[in-house]
Amino acid sequence: MAETAFTADDFRPAAVTESAQAVARPSLSYWQDAWIRLKANRRALFSLYLVIGLSLFTLVGPLIWTVDPSLQDLEQISQPPGADRDATVVAPHRPWDGAPELPLRSGLSLAASPTTQSVRLVWEPLPDAAGYRLYRNLFPAAGGQALGLPLFETFNLREPSAGEREGATPRKNQRRFEDRLDLKPRSYYYSVAALDAQGQMTGDVHRLELTVTRVITAQEAEAMGLVEDASLLNPGDRIKLRAHPLGTDYLGRDLLARLMAGARVSLFIGIAAPLLFIAFGVIYGAAAGFLGGWPDQALMRFSDFVVALPFLLFMILLRVASGVQPGESGITPMVLAMVLLSWPAAARLVRGQILQIREEGYISASRLLGGGAPYLVLRHMIPNTLGVILVTMTFAVPTAIFTEAFLSFIGMGVAPPTPSWGSMCNEGIKTMLTTPHELIFPALFISVTVLAFNLLGDGLRDALDARMRSAE
Amino acid sequence: MTKAPNPSGESAFNRSAARQLALFGVAIVVGLVGLMWGLNLLASLTATAGGVPPAVDVANNAITVMLTEEPPQLDSTRSTDQVSGIVLGHVMEGLLRYDDRGELAPGMAEAWRIDEGGATFHLRADARWSDGQPVTAHDFVFAWRLGLDPENASEYAFILYPIKNAEAINQGELPVTELGARALDARTLEVEFERPIAFFDKLTAFSTYFPVREDFYRATEGRFGADADQLLYNGPFALSNWVHGQSLRLDRNPHYWDQARIRLDRINVGYITSDPNTRLNLFKDEKIVMTGLTAENLTNALEQRWHIHRHMDGSVFYLDFNHREGRLTRNLNLRKAMILAQDPGELVYKVTKTPGYLPGESLFPRFLEGVQGKFRDEHPAPTYPMDLQAARAHLEAARRELGLEAFPPLVLLAGDNPVSNIQTEYFQAVFKKNLGLDIKIDRQIFKQRLAKMTSGDFDLVLAGWGPDYNDPLTYGDLYASWNLNNRGRYSNPEYDRQVRIAQGAMDAQTRVAAFAEMQRIIHEDVVIIPNYERGVAYVTHPRVKGILRRVVGADTDYTYAWIEP
Repeated sequence: MAETAFTADDFRPAAVTESAQAVARPSLSYWQDAWIRLKANRRALFSLYLVIGLSLFTLVGPLIWTVDPSLQDLEQISQPPGADRDATVVAPHRPWDGAPELPLRSGLSLAASPTTQSVRLVWEPLPDAAGYRLYRNLFPAAGGQALGLPLFETFNLREPSAGEREGATPRKNQRRFEDRLDLKPRSYYYSVAALDAQGQMTGDVHRLELTVTRVITAQEAEAMGLVEDASLLNPGDRIKLRAHPLGTDYLGRDLLARLMAGARVSLFIGIAAPLLFIAFGVIYGAAAGFLGGWPDQALMRFSDFVVALPFLLFMILLRVASGVQPGESGITPMVLAMVLLSWPAAARLVRGQILQIREEGYISASRLLGGGAPYLVLRHMIPNTLGVILVTMTFAVPTAIFTEAFLSFIGMGVAPPTPSWGSMCNEGIKTMLTTPHELIFPALFISVTVLAFNLLGDGLRDALDARMRSAE
Repeated sequence: MTKAPNPSGESAFNRSAARQLALFGVAIVVGLVGLMWGLNLLASLTATAGGVPPAVDVANNAITVMLTEEPPQLDSTRSTDQVSGIVLGHVMEGLLRYDDRGELAPGMAEAWRIDEGGATFHLRADARWSDGQPVTAHDFVFAWRLGLDPENASEYAFILYPIKNAEAINQGELPVTELGARALDARTLEVEFERPIAFFDKLTAFSTYFPVREDFYRATEGRFGADADQLLYNGPFALSNWVHGQSLRLDRNPHYWDQARIRLDRINVGYITSDPNTRLNLFKDEKIVMTGLTAENLTNALEQRWHIHRHMDGSVFYLDFNHREGRLTRNLNLRKAMILAQDPGELVYKVTKTPGYLPGESLFPRFLEGVQGKFRDEHPAPTYPMDLQAARAHLEAARRELGLEAFPPLVLLAGDNPVSNIQTEYFQAVFKKNLGLDIKIDRQIFKQRLAKMTSGDFDLVLAGWGPDYNDPLTYGDLYASWNLNNRGRYSNPEYDRQVRIAQGAMDAQTRVAAFAEMQRIIHEDVVIIPNYERGVAYVTHPRVKGILRRVVGADTDYTYAWIEP
């Protein structure tokens, strides 16, 4: 215990300062205060930026990336993300009469330069062959009989009958083949195997490795809008194909353009449906809470009844009952069904709040001062529940987006060619293993959107909670 | 001064908490490991009890296969679906059958004679049922009467119509005893024809023509074909076990007459699944000996270096127009515009990309026989090469003829499956881009689509047809005005006349000429837009040889298969 020495100074009255009573900070409204707290929440702020970014993507994106989402680019089907692909201009495809354009080599050889339009092959006879089978492979063929995908067979199981002319079936002696099946600019390994009289492989094989070049006809280039006039192009010219920054889908449609078009559908449903059903729920809940007594009981029992309806089943039934004609997009019935089935949650929440607020002192004061019922509800009660409503709204948006995606995924949503994220996932999942980007992009957009709205809702709830005001 | 907490006390608490946590952790890990081990043990126990043998079971000389669906029932007089056809093809045999080269061969009948008025079949002496009793001519007469009995309501009764009075019996106008098929004695069957028919021998290999023994049928009391023990077998295999929804087991039939050709002792149908990825995984794990490939898992199959085979299954697919009164598609110029604006080659090679498909050129697929060679070699199908200028000119002509300002959207009816979804969206874009026509897609499940096709509620429909028997008539009579499968109600007296010729004539030359005429009319009148002939790419187990894929009859035939030692 140290001893403290007092001096006279310690007992002098404090000087009167003017600033002691001054307000340190400007007065904050409820919303300003909430905004400050939301800004402090970095997760919520980031989500807000994401939501703004998505809106820009949906509304401004199509103005910048002006590609028709239903334009089919059959030269570039299921292409992974990337740009800067070019092709050589060639003449339109003509049936092949078998005449070679290139000098033939021994064994299996090319009759014309291999292009994505066609690969023309000619081969020399193999010893003791009663027929041939032509295979194509993406990998160098190993030993054995696994030569790849059989494309063509000249062997005919039917033996020529006694009176039959030699070569009545021209396919039997054919030693050429034109491959047009799904050719991509890459290396292929062709092999032609000799078949014995029973149709079994004799073991003699000609092999050929070749690299296919990407080509396009002038007409196709014009149809796709790559050039103004097809007659300006000459065979051999090189032109740039359409760029697809996020790749293309199974019909060669631009994925970025489809994602934008899909976002319009998804976000429209995701925002329109919650706006409508929450507006209805607020009116319904406010009426029930304010009236109280038996009207309240009746209204809330009816909302319980609506809650008890199996959501998905009714969703589908309503869609069917609304008589969607073939080819019409089912957006309106979908929104309608969501509104009809989703309002009770908001109604219950608002009714609870109103019941609470009704007993508050300021309501009594207002009433004593002559405030009528509409005035009380509109001026005092609903504004005081706005925070709750806003939070419900932000949580309802991702749910609605998810429901739309789900319904489109099971084929109950929008009609082709209108894309939506859900239907794009449905199409992408079929080719998940070979071209995963068709599934990953729409799935990513759904996930990010749903997550952003959820985190934003979370942040808003924290920010709008009046009880947390004193924490500042 | 004594504000600092007791450090030793806090660390003691931490230590005990850490120990407790560690204990919990160890307990959880041990518990999980134990649980997994236990579950694994349980799984292996049930697997050995009721499990499915591997793809190739050398010890039992057996193979394991899968089916895409379960047969609804195996009563040959009533079966319609492909899966029942596969199973029936293994356990039953008709008067004639198809051999390993796809040729007609003697089955229950060892000799037969067919002329304009009728046919006589001589049954072999060693033809026996799986209970050892002989197969007699009465069994065939009984089965055919059953197939035609209106009470039995067989959907394939029409295939028996070439027999005298068959149609009248099926319509309920005559008693079944009036049928023009008689058993002269136990081993001689005499058939009288309604009108001359050139391909009756091929029909006798069809499942509706398989025999049924009367006393056994009566003993089953209406449950005939519903279970393994509710059937009697006369084919190379017999069904020894049928767990509904799960599996079937086919064992060698010891009473079958041609034991020499059967090399397998057992065929297990271990799995029933229609999911292509599941089937591919089963094949990868050596659980089944064969599975089909789709365009998506083709790369995978190439990577695995599997044996890939190809088979044309004989089905043709096309866009069918609605030719009913009042439909826009009744206008020839519109149909011409549409056929000129599309290219089946582009559809097959770039859009569907499924290996094995060939661009469609005609209603008559390539496998059909002509006079000497293939029908399509003798009469190459005329085609419309894509020509946008001509297409637009026809469209303009159609617009003027119909007196329209602009074309309203056309409804394209289609099934709801991946291949037809791609196809419909492709056509939607093609007709929009090339002709400016709007197409609305109406996707329906199979039954609903059939109902809409029958009622004529469409402009265009994606349709397909598979052969019932190996004769061009199975396709040719589709567009006869009286055929109920003529969904667009196309009606042309000249076409009908050619169908009558093909039905009645015995001479191959006359018949093939009639089919060529039909092909020409369909082309000139643009009755359909041919899309493709379906093929399948499939992989087989390298040790199993001799698996057959057929165009008519059982789609997959394991009766000639063997296991390579």
